[in-house]
Amino acid sequence: MSYLEIRKLTRFFGGLAAVMELEMEVDQGQLFGLIGPNGAGKTTVLNMIGGILRPNRGQIIFNGTEVTRLPPHLRARRGIARVFQENLLFRSLTVLENVEVGYHMQTKINLSNIFFDTRSNRIQEKALHQRALDTLDFVGLSPYSNELAINLPHGRQRLLALAIALATQPQLLLLDEPVTGMNSEEVETMLGMIRALRDQRGITCIIIEHNLKAIMGLCDRIAVLHFGRKIAEGPPEKIVNNPVVMEAYLGKEEDAT
Amino acid sequence: MNREGMFKILGSIGAILFAIAVPLLLASTYWTSVFTSIAINSLMVVSLRIILTVGEFSLGHVGFMCLGAYTSALLTMKAGLPFGVTLPAAGLFAGLVAFGLGYPFMRVKGIYFAILTLVTSESIRLLAFNWRGLTGGLDGLIGFPGAGVLSIPGLVQLDFNRFTEYYYLTLAVTLVSLFILYRLEKSRLGFTWLAIRDADKMAGAVGVNVLRYKVIAFSIASFFAGIGGALFAHFERALGPHPTATFGVMTTIYLLIYMVVGGKSRFSGPILGAVVLSLVYEFARPVEEYQPMIIGAIGILVVMTIPEGLIGIPERFKKWQAKQIE
Repeated sequence: MSYLEIRKLTRFFGGLAAVMELEMEVDQGQLFGLIGPNGAGKTTVLNMIGGILRPNRGQIIFNGTEVTRLPPHLRARRGIARVFQENLLFRSLTVLENVEVGYHMQTKINLSNIFFDTRSNRIQEKALHQRALDTLDFVGLSPYSNELAINLPHGRQRLLALAIALATQPQLLLLDEPVTGMNSEEVETMLGMIRALRDQRGITCIIIEHNLKAIMGLCDRIAVLHFGRKIAEGPPEKIVNNPVVMEAYLGKEEDAT
Repeated sequence: MNREGMFKILGSIGAILFAIAVPLLLASTYWTSVFTSIAINSLMVVSLRIILTVGEFSLGHVGFMCLGAYTSALLTMKAGLPFGVTLPAAGLFAGLVAFGLGYPFMRVKGIYFAILTLVTSESIRLLAFNWRGLTGGLDGLIGFPGAGVLSIPGLVQLDFNRFTEYYYLTLAVTLVSLFILYRLEKSRLGFTWLAIRDADKMAGAVGVNVLRYKVIAFSIASFFAGIGGALFAHFERALGPHPTATFGVMTTIYLLIYMVVGGKSRFSGPILGAVVLSLVYEFARPVEEYQPMIIGAIGILVVMTIPEGLIGIPERFKKWQAKQIE
């Protein structure tokens, strides 16, 4: 059985089928790309895997258990983390604090550490700071730890979003357009990091990206969505030359005569 | 400790000392009772702000105050319980009701949540209005016992039915409540609330049980609204469900204005707003029919000129000073 199995996943928005009977399997440690034109339903799929949207029909089975109807925080506990498409960050908090929120599941909140400055509380706080700093170090943001998150430039905000997701100790990382809007240098850094996560920590990734060059070089396997349906799946080199995919992206070649 | 921290601590100690000295300084029953209601208002506004820290606002805070007030009054009246028991009971009951309502209510956001709280508070008031057997209907409750006498033989004998003693009791309960609320906000719990306010989707994705944390905030806020209600009940010694009286919608509106005028981004903002505007309200008593207009006009003025509220004035002044030096 695969690490993540998606069976007949379907979601309607009103009368529109955003995702229709999607079948998908992702193996552990795989870098799985999800591509398709705008409005193909890619983000909807990630939203359903992450738990923000419930599917109308179908099943999502992660690591042997069904998670189809679980709320997001319970999926996070099972190891699914998310980097959102928009620059969604905790705006009023500093860079370091943003990552500390990511460590929520490992932070104890109880009456004694709310009202008393106990030793164990101070130890917990110190350890939390240290771990958050280490995570920032990994993405290369530790020099900015005390800045407000919203004051970072776009590329660094994306890295911060990745750091927050990593703080949850994920096994499956859902990345929604991780390199969009970045310059080529930043793209290389981000891609290198995703590879390192897989190679060093064995993190499985599902990546949505419009930057086709980036995704072709990165992913082991790619699925193409078009109007909510999967029209192709396979290793990148097969996808590039697939006429159905070309047609979805560029339109049908019409006979001029 | 840095200068700002020192300033904060000195400021709060000064404010507390002033509050303690009020009955001595002003030496009038009238002013003592005004400051009693200012203390209650402060507790109400600060607890209302807790809901704001998870990114929602309530238009029904006064409903939970009403619950607390009636709970405490009825328990002293019908069950003969002392105030020391009915006060926490009032808070607990209001908090429990909020906990039960919180789960369905907090599933919706923004204006929808606000409307739900508004109709809840009006329903609670109408319940008091219509349940004549229990609440006395429109006649309300009168003649229920006051806060009673605290006597430790050979040490003290405090009669809380008198204005000055009741003022100190209210002040003590308010200060303890404010301290609790302050600790909550500065703890990891408050930190998680802020994270939810900033980006609830993201908070959920990192494992925060968003609904639960929102319900906790709503329940805690309502608990302290219930405490405020109990303090109010035994201060007035009379309760009524009339729409223009305390438990009407207008009170919630006033609380919101106090919060915004004082400054909602800081813990001390609502307290400042409650103190300043309650005093304005008192001074405007000779022109009673204009009171809402005056408070409203101040609200508009502050929002237009200093949106961060009165609490933001020192910072503005500092910036202005820095500019002058340049």
